[in-house]
Amino acid sequence: MSLLKPFSKLPALNTANILLVESEEQFQQSLADALVEETAVTVNVRLAKSLPLPKENEESRPRIDLVVFIINMTSERSFKSAEASLKYLDPGYFLGKVCFLATNVRNASVPTEYLDAVRKLAASLHCPLLFAEDQTPDGVANATERLLTILKVAAGLVPMATALYVSSLTRCSVPPDIDQPSFD
Amino acid sequence: MDDLTKRLLQRLIRRMPAQMLKTTLEKWDRLTAAQQQSLDFTQPKWALIETLLTIFEENEFTVKHITELEMLHVINNPNQGMWHAFHLMDPDDTAITVELTQFKEQFKSHLRELVRHVSIKIKKHTDEAVWIRIAWGDGFSKPNHLKPTYVVHHLQTPYVFVTSLTSKQKPLLSQALTLSTRHQGIKDANLSGRKLTAIRDLLMKQYQQVFTTRYPSPLEETNQPVSNPRIEREQAGLLANRLQMACEAFGYGVLPQLQSAVYKLETKYKDDTNKTMTEREEPFRCVVKFASSNLLESIRQCASSGIASTPVTPLLSSIPIKGRNYFVIKDNGLGPS
Repeated sequence: MSLLKPFSKLPALNTANILLVESEEQFQQSLADALVEETAVTVNVRLAKSLPLPKENEESRPRIDLVVFIINMTSERSFKSAEASLKYLDPGYFLGKVCFLATNVRNASVPTEYLDAVRKLAASLHCPLLFAEDQTPDGVANATERLLTILKVAAGLVPMATALYVSSLTRCSVPPDIDQPSFD
Repeated sequence: MDDLTKRLLQRLIRRMPAQMLKTTLEKWDRLTAAQQQSLDFTQPKWALIETLLTIFEENEFTVKHITELEMLHVINNPNQGMWHAFHLMDPDDTAITVELTQFKEQFKSHLRELVRHVSIKIKKHTDEAVWIRIAWGDGFSKPNHLKPTYVVHHLQTPYVFVTSLTSKQKPLLSQALTLSTRHQGIKDANLSGRKLTAIRDLLMKQYQQVFTTRYPSPLEETNQPVSNPRIEREQAGLLANRLQMACEAFGYGVLPQLQSAVYKLETKYKDDTNKTMTEREEPFRCVVKFASSNLLESIRQCASSGIASTPVTPLLSSIPIKGRNYFVIKDNGLGPS
């Protein structure tokens, strides 16, 4: 088992590296295409289906600044896969270098318990949970912008801000009554 | 023209969209040019039917002519109704020599022997298919032209495609078919679908086939899109592997547009968390149905994108291999159905 470590490699100048993990490998491609368009910093994108990452790429892989788990809410498999991948991450990542991106949340077939499960997962790991629309170009652009904001901070490219500081503001919190039955 | 003939014509015209009606009438070529001109296809349907009724009465057309028109319409639009495939078995030595006129005569005489009142019309289509329209009657009633059965058979092949056949008529048709094509028996091919062309292509293997070889051909050039050097796929090997597996099971080309597959399960329930169900003696019976506008394409997509696990399970890959879409599954594997 090889853990992915946040500080095992030296950073490159004005470069941010992001790892997109999605079991279905659908949204990550369009997201990656949009992410590399960024001109202010060099963004490198690595795509993966699940963790752990293969050993043979160890040498060529740059330091990963942000790990994004893309969860498709209409598929339970996608959630399970993300959950299983989490244990291959070094604990250091959870200090602001991991975030969850949920897609298809507005789909009517998503049970509410399932949304709660994702929120609890994000909250228990102190990670931000973003929601994105993967079908429209606007949605992809929106998600890209949000990810870039977090990525720049996580890569240390924003003066006076650290990943830990930002994550303490953006992390997902579970409302105390989430386990209570609702009466509406 | 009597009432029944009028009703038959009305039903037929109502079923056809105006544009299709125009082309079908042109192909039919029994109306004079002036009559063709007098028809206004932008009119509402009921007005169009009225005009056609008068024209048909002028020309003294009978049921025979209307069925001819109907047959032309069905041949040109075969993707309507549910088609079932049948498989002729054990050909005689002379089965290969059956030709059209002989088949026509034999089929008609064999079927007329079995049913007194039956109206049969046989027409050869350009693509070598023989189309048979049967209007059934019984001992006392005239043939019912409102619910005809259509049969499509390609001579010298063991396959027959049938639509709207009731269980009462099935043995009669089977007997007439086996005798006139000189086979020993006929069985259900367990394949049905709304698209005749799709089930025909699937059974006759008229699509791009795959032949598994021991040395897999490199896929990279064909399937890898030109990507940005700053985007890198960590598990690229896995992806290529999945694509290869999916294509090995379903081929690289266009697949027949099959719309559904049905699996009838009669297996024991196996789940460690559910003791009461697992310990039950009798099998757990249920029906699993997959439906899509293009089922085989969807399954291939699922396998290549990783939603379905690879290698593709034999349950799914046997749809194209065995050419059927109805399976009964028992505990000792695929049952004989």
